[in-house]
Amino acid sequence: MDTASDKTGVSSLPVQQEIINFIRENFIAGRSDVSFGVEDSLIETKIMDSTGVLELVTFLEERFSITIADEELVPENLDSVKNLVNFLRSKGIE
Amino acid sequence: MGYEHNVLALNPGHECDRICAFIREQVYTVYRRSGIVVGLSGGVDSSVTAALAVRAIGRDNVVGLVLPEKESNPVSSRFAAGHAAALGIACREIDITPTVDSVGGYAWRDEYISRLVPGYGPGCKYNIILPSDLLDRDAFSFYTLQVQMPDGSLKKKRLSADTFRALAAFASIKIRARMVHLYWEAERRDMIVAGTTNKTEFILGDICKYGDAGTDIEPILHLYKNQVYQLARYLDVSKEIIDRQPSPDTFSLPVSDQEFFFRIPFEKLDLLLYSWERGAKVEEAAAALSLGEDAVRRAFRDFTSKNTATAHIREVPRALP
Repeated sequence: MDTASDKTGVSSLPVQQEIINFIRENFIAGRSDVSFGVEDSLIETKIMDSTGVLELVTFLEERFSITIADEELVPENLDSVKNLVNFLRSKGIE
Repeated sequence: MGYEHNVLALNPGHECDRICAFIREQVYTVYRRSGIVVGLSGGVDSSVTAALAVRAIGRDNVVGLVLPEKESNPVSSRFAAGHAAALGIACREIDITPTVDSVGGYAWRDEYISRLVPGYGPGCKYNIILPSDLLDRDAFSFYTLQVQMPDGSLKKKRLSADTFRALAAFASIKIRARMVHLYWEAERRDMIVAGTTNKTEFILGDICKYGDAGTDIEPILHLYKNQVYQLARYLDVSKEIIDRQPSPDTFSLPVSDQEFFFRIPFEKLDLLLYSWERGAKVEEAAAALSLGEDAVRRAFRDFTSKNTATAHIREVPRALP
């Protein structure tokens, strides 16, 4: 399994790294025992909860100056680092 | 292990006896008090709890409190008072509006909403809802603020984490105000407070810390909502209460428990939750409940998310050993 700090799996590293940093700082800060891969579900691994999804959306909208529609708030777009990077790419964020 | 539709069927007589023995032991042996105070909301959970308390320790030792505030549905108080009368228990109705207002609640809330939805003001009503039926359509649990304008039109605004927290904190003032009134009544009467939370609410976190979770005993906490209904029918709770759509009754614009929190109809929710608690495989639960695997997967993911987010409510405050 790729780890979140690996360079494999997704090519747009700067965006990926920003997402990883956000997750580390906001969802697992101070927990050295938690690691996650870029394809891991953030919900199923209990890294992100229902309120965390809202925090993540605010971060994405503000950091990348995008608007995320209600219909886009689905796991396919937001539930792993890889999905997030691909979702941002679909919004023109590389 | 089976996850079929009859797995939550109770022997209601046996279950009532078991709960009543628990209540008697708690009141007279553990707490050594004289009776029970229970908040009556006009819903099925508090109605069943009060009926069980009467069955356990007698109507003279049970007090019902009806605790509306200015935005409560008037039907709630009417049903609650009617149930207390049917049980023959002492009942008081106390308007908690001044208590909520003493925290600065309503004015603060109104100003907050008016910043989110320009035009919000007198004559407007509001609620917050989650995306509808999770079994039909995938979506994370994000809240939308709905404001009904005086002309009946609806304005909607998706809530961020910060705005959700603020509105939830305000809603919790109402629930905690009820806890204060319940204990004021119970302690001066040498009684204990019985909670009315069921297992479905408890596992998924549809409870308020130091609000409806602030109690002395929880007589129906081990029962899924579906099982509470089974006891309600056995205990002859009125049809109007049993047939009433469950609601938090916390917002000025009515909203059901399903719209506000659960996202799944109760008849399916409890069986899914039962399966999830026991670590059922998605395909196993889907087959047993005649649901699609994607639907079950979404439900399980939502359970995990809610259970994780609300874990702190189910624990006592942490401390060093």
